[in-house]
Amino acid sequence: MSKFSTLEVYETPLGAGYTLLPFNFISLDDQRYVLTNMVGEYHVVSRDELEKLSSHQLSYKSVLYNDLKAKHFLYDEDSSVAIDLLTLKARTKIRGLSDFTALHMFVISLRCEHSCPYCQVSRANDNQTKFDMSYETAMKSLDLVFKSPSPVIKIEFQGGEPLLNFPLIREVVIAAKERNEVEGKHLQFVIATNLAVITDEILDFCKEHEILISTSLDGPAALHNKNRPRPDNDSYERACAGIQKVRNRLGSDRVSALMTTTKASLEQPIEIVNEYIERGFQGIFLRPLSPYGFAMKTKFFRAYDLKDWLDFYFKGLEYIIKLNKEGFFFVEHYASLILTKMLTPYATGYVDLMSPAGIGIGAVVYNYDGDIYASDEGRMLAEMKDKKFCIGNVHKNTYEEIFTSDALLDPLEQSLTKSVPMCSECAFEPYCGSDPVYHYATQKDFIGHKPTSEFCKRNTAIFKRLITLMEDDADTKQIFLSWIRT
Amino acid sequence: MSALASSDLVEVSFDQSIYSLDDIKRAAYRLSDRASFNFQLLADKIICQLSPVSVEDDRVAHDFRNEVLDQNLRSKISQETEAIRNLILAHTFSNTGLISE
Repeated sequence: MSKFSTLEVYETPLGAGYTLLPFNFISLDDQRYVLTNMVGEYHVVSRDELEKLSSHQLSYKSVLYNDLKAKHFLYDEDSSVAIDLLTLKARTKIRGLSDFTALHMFVISLRCEHSCPYCQVSRANDNQTKFDMSYETAMKSLDLVFKSPSPVIKIEFQGGEPLLNFPLIREVVIAAKERNEVEGKHLQFVIATNLAVITDEILDFCKEHEILISTSLDGPAALHNKNRPRPDNDSYERACAGIQKVRNRLGSDRVSALMTTTKASLEQPIEIVNEYIERGFQGIFLRPLSPYGFAMKTKFFRAYDLKDWLDFYFKGLEYIIKLNKEGFFFVEHYASLILTKMLTPYATGYVDLMSPAGIGIGAVVYNYDGDIYASDEGRMLAEMKDKKFCIGNVHKNTYEEIFTSDALLDPLEQSLTKSVPMCSECAFEPYCGSDPVYHYATQKDFIGHKPTSEFCKRNTAIFKRLITLMEDDADTKQIFLSWIRT
Repeated sequence: MSALASSDLVEVSFDQSIYSLDDIKRAAYRLSDRASFNFQLLADKIICQLSPVSVEDDRVAHDFRNEVLDQNLRSKISQETEAIRNLILAHTFSNTGLISE
């Protein structure tokens, strides 16, 4: 006779049934739905399973029941920690908000020796020093930087081409480090440069002060030079030579690159990815063209439509996944940001996918003339004569006046995704953002009409594709897990 | 629900005892890039007149009806989980000092 009881003795039937935790859903395809909970954990179910779940008819013995319980879509009397765990994750998601502004962008000069038609910055000719930031403006901006409560401060030098005003970059870095001996922040510097005018002297300074370099690389030579004309038509050659110089002098991981998609890029996603691999990068950010600056003046923004760009993006993503399956680690950075939100309770701080919006909260821009903008895109809009997102001036306003201005608070408050039409009931809300600058630029409204918003359509398509890829292929899911940022 | 079609206007009706006007309007908003909507309340029905943006879009009424079903289910889940949602949010913010006693 056995001394042990059968398994059934230890299974306690749950007489009280289960309680639903807050969740939302959206169709993934003709057969499936995505459920998401308050912190963005997701599960894919059929319509029948969704109906059963919501009408409390799901069997506690089913695999689905236990999966949904583990992911906090329901709880029962078997566990008392579900609500605590969900709360902890919700807190983790929003923890970084109170740190406030970490990224501070200094527009050191509007001068540039390139003439990129898609430029989102309206640039000035490289001999017009009246478009340089002054020492006084830079120091006033630095005063405001150190008013931020963020324990991490990243100062990014932009332009035009910021290296055309390198002496001021030097002054700002030295002054910032001196002040930081008292402030004690984790201080980082980045220079966003086309690398065409970089010198050994500049590299020595960057080495000494651990400055990172961010540059532009649109793809193979013909594409890059077509997109980025300069005298002698040698932008690509200079960029590649600059990248190598930076790697040799500062280290291979001290330079990153960004590409901009133009109509000419759309036929070449694989060639562009291969170019990044050739140049030794471990990832690429496949970006759309933003509706600002010269891109609007030269009509570049409407040169292709959303479908064209999504085709380009998904071809590029598919190719990158294929490379990873062949053992070559390479990341698509936009997907990586989204996957971090989908698969972890951590926020990413990526300004375009934040709600409340990242304007002012995540990043702020100090323009060469002392005007302050809530975001880089807000500054670009100002170059199109619309200063809607100008939140003050370093010479005229205090920190309090700037960061409690209506120019900042109105778009933040109005565009919060949890309280605007369509976003508030969207299952993808935990992954998405409000981007009031984009919606104002394209629809003249901070909230935007989401059914006609390309921002909404683009992100919805990407969210669905990433989830579908993970559902349909376990290997792809493993690859995506390796892309998560922690 | 029922649907009547004319040359450029499609009429869909909903039983008020089953579907709320809020659910129907939310569904209409989602499809407002494909059609414009007009609503009328009759005794026990909500009448929706859809005017498709494109005459070739013959699925808009079908998609609208399905979207109303989805919105109805979302409302049901939202109502059922309201108390626990507020509890979680209150607990989330409980250490911030932002919630008044």
